[in-house]
Amino acid sequence: MTAVTGLDVPKTAVAVPPLLKSPGYWSGVWRRFKRDKVAVAAGIVVLLIVLMAIFADYLAPADPTRSSMLRRLRPIGTPGYPLGADELGRDMLSRLIYGARLSLFMGVAPVFIAFVFGSVIGIAAGFFGGRFNTVVMRTVDVFYAFPSVLLAIALSGALGAGIFNSILSLTIVFIPQIARIAESVTTQVRSADYVEAARASGAGSGTIIKVHVLGNVLGPIFVYATSLISVSMILASGLSFLGLGTKPPTPEWGLMLNTLRTAIYVQPWVAALPGVAIFITSISFNLLSDGLRSAMDVKG
Amino acid sequence: MSTSSSTPLVAMENVTVRFRGAQTVHAVNGVSLTLEPGKVLGILGESGSGKSVTLKTLLRLLPESRTDIGGKVMVDGRDVLAMNAAELSAYRGAVTSMIFQDPALALDPVYTVGQQIAESITRHEKISAKAAMARALELLELVRIPSPERRLKAYPHEMSGGMRQRAMIALALAARPKLLLADEPTTALDATVQIQILLLLRQLQRDLGMGVIFVTHDIGVAVEVSDRLAVMYAGQIVETGTVRELLRNPQHPYTKGLLAANLHGAKKGERLEAIPGAPPALNEPPSSCSFAPRCRYAEPACGTALPPALSLGDARTVRCIRAEAGLQPA
Amino acid sequence: MTLTLYVEDAQDRGGAGTPLLQAKALTKHFPLGGGAVVRAVDGVDFSVLKGETLGVVGESGCGKSTTARVVMQLIPQDKGELLFDGEAVGTRALSLKDYRRQAQMVFQDSYASLNPRLTIEDSVAFGPTVHGVPKAAAIERARELLAKVGLDPARFAARYPHELSGGQRQRVNIARALALGPRLVILDEAVSALDKSVEAQVLNLLADLREEFGLTYVFISHDLNVVRFISDRVMVMYLGEVVEIGPVEDLYDDPRHPYTRALLSAMPSMDPDNRTMEAPLAGDPPNPINPPEGCRFHPRCPHAQTVCAKVKPALVATSDAEGARRVACHMEIAGSGHSRAPALESAA
Repeated sequence: MTAVTGLDVPKTAVAVPPLLKSPGYWSGVWRRFKRDKVAVAAGIVVLLIVLMAIFADYLAPADPTRSSMLRRLRPIGTPGYPLGADELGRDMLSRLIYGARLSLFMGVAPVFIAFVFGSVIGIAAGFFGGRFNTVVMRTVDVFYAFPSVLLAIALSGALGAGIFNSILSLTIVFIPQIARIAESVTTQVRSADYVEAARASGAGSGTIIKVHVLGNVLGPIFVYATSLISVSMILASGLSFLGLGTKPPTPEWGLMLNTLRTAIYVQPWVAALPGVAIFITSISFNLLSDGLRSAMDVKG
Repeated sequence: MSTSSSTPLVAMENVTVRFRGAQTVHAVNGVSLTLEPGKVLGILGESGSGKSVTLKTLLRLLPESRTDIGGKVMVDGRDVLAMNAAELSAYRGAVTSMIFQDPALALDPVYTVGQQIAESITRHEKISAKAAMARALELLELVRIPSPERRLKAYPHEMSGGMRQRAMIALALAARPKLLLADEPTTALDATVQIQILLLLRQLQRDLGMGVIFVTHDIGVAVEVSDRLAVMYAGQIVETGTVRELLRNPQHPYTKGLLAANLHGAKKGERLEAIPGAPPALNEPPSSCSFAPRCRYAEPACGTALPPALSLGDARTVRCIRAEAGLQPA
Repeated sequence: MTLTLYVEDAQDRGGAGTPLLQAKALTKHFPLGGGAVVRAVDGVDFSVLKGETLGVVGESGCGKSTTARVVMQLIPQDKGELLFDGEAVGTRALSLKDYRRQAQMVFQDSYASLNPRLTIEDSVAFGPTVHGVPKAAAIERARELLAKVGLDPARFAARYPHELSGGQRQRVNIARALALGPRLVILDEAVSALDKSVEAQVLNLLADLREEFGLTYVFISHDLNVVRFISDRVMVMYLGEVVEIGPVEDLYDDPRHPYTRALLSAMPSMDPDNRTMEAPLAGDPPNPINPPEGCRFHPRCPHAQTVCAKVKPALVATSDAEGARRVACHMEIAGSGHSRAPALESAA
């Protein structure tokens, strides 16, 4: 390998003074995001719910598992039970606050794990293309072909009930979806002129992936993944509803919906509350994810 | 600036167009032009000059909610800016029509070419579907599409670039407009196809007696089709005249720069006389000569006020205070 | 600090006589489904002399962009040889990585050519870092190059591509191409997407850089005026083949191939009293799937005869120009069977 001639540069490390700093990509994203009022509102809601879950011990007025057979199915506004009592006399407000913990966890954890595995699979398939891509992506397609609800139920049923198994089955549901997006975005980036230019400079695949592909690909995949959080929450709630997820008496919104099912004629407002919580949280995540996507969309 | 006694086909007086939004853009800043019936006016300019916006104003194709249009736009004696939705619908296609750079903008991919042309005809005239289709065939023959009967039933994606362009022209002519607007229709075409389309447009214009306003950034193209030229910069017309006058004796420094940039008379091996710098951002309406920062002849007076459009003769104007002394030698 | 970019004499291994680039019978086909093949580049022969600018012209489907990519080895050729300064590219004599230091390319789309997540200086510095130059030194070099192409580093180095105009981005791309100190720069429609006034600025810049760094250019463009202005020799391509190649002024004044004639006369006239009256060619440029037999231009050629449909004309030197001009047309090949061909020199 001949010495690099024609590139006459000083070999000593030169302290590079900072020049006029451009605001940078992320501060641009933040600026655009701040302007989107809906996204900011959604972000605040999500933040409040997360804080509520973290500080549940301080916020909840009562013990969420303490039941009282005398005070079953009390309506909203009953003294001592601000949001009513459920079918076992437990304080709804406390159960909703504590329920946020599990519901959020079941929403975020499977998506996060799926993001890691799905990205690796998808980016590799997208970058290397050819037979490797075909083999990987068609395998992914097999799983993708199942409707997510059915697949989640089937997997949960096979693995058994419980939080850990629910998370596992949801992760398996989401990995193919993320892998598909990852592969698609990576394929686009791979054929971009700047990647060709990098190859023309003599860079190897590893360097190209690290410098050029990851930075442009992880963003869109991440945004897509955040849009799955609400889906994950709803699926997890569905699994709990069917008895395949959380076990009673642990407060979790989906489970609460299940156990309050029969109370819908007696105390409809109370029975609907966990559903409202799921609705608000998942919509906020959705709007947040939309706002992130718009903010990251740099117009040239 | 017309000296003819007949009513001009197009009369734009002091038209301004401003886009509101995250940033305000003053795209057109006081454009006045006229077009006689049956004549071709070429508008020459680069990106950001406002030439496409000017064209779209004639058809009210700009987004209504965030556009402020000022001035007067008269086409065939009608006040375009005052039309309501029904009048506008009758006006578009039948009085004024437009062809674009990208035929995909005008041709719907899910309908055949024949269907689209026939639809345009029946929207303006009460004739049967069969008669409309026959007229569509005539139009395809008019634009010299090979095998026109087959093309009637073809979808846009089944045709090559040049044929799509011809189909778009046929579509634009379907309702026999008096004014044809052309927004860089040949920019994306190969050289041998471009000249075919230019010749076709010239011939159609002659045969049908249409007025044409042709927007382009390529001087050669403008020379081939236009009778008169208007050069636009930063939303204003900086020079007008016949093609001969502008080519042989350009007065405005920007026109001279454009001609040099088109390698008009360039000597190989010598440096091109490139215009330095870049066009201004159009966030504010201009209060002085927009070209002065890039102009090699700029004087202090150029920065004080907007140069007025000086008349140098019959339909010959220049927006440059240096031209006050009459026609300067080239 | 002086920026030593260009070739030291030690790098000129082939000497003045060896062309910097030689393409021999380059062929690249792209298979489509169902047996059809896009014959994008078919047996292309040409060379580029040191220090010259070779213009390449042709319309859609002619294969000029594919040829550029094969020359850069972004796509490997199916058949044919590529020699750089006398050494075969991709062999032990000249590894691909070494070749890539010496041959660089500027693309048409100035925005797509730059990683939107990297600052300008990082983009320009990337190439040298791949070849072992330490990051700080590469950044320093990048800033000097930015200054050379007319972008003040203090204002531009830390910016992102979307903050620059098209002309500025193209200057960055040129700086990026020069960062490795190449000897050959391929410009694939590099100025086509720019406004005319910006294009003129960039053309001036290219001429200056060529002068200063002793560069050799391959300039691909559809704009015949620009090609005439910047090139020393011109190569005309049609449907994957070279149809004519020669010194620019000779070729423009006296085109020999019927397609070259058509292409040149298709240029809009700049004289309002002398407008074009007739289109030189009818129809659109064909696509290179299943090109015609024999001479690929014969279906559209006004002088086509039987031999043209049967025999492919070789690219041969015309008799008068001492080998400087080569044309692939039976009308120029002695004894080809075309009624207009010159007679064979009969042996005494």
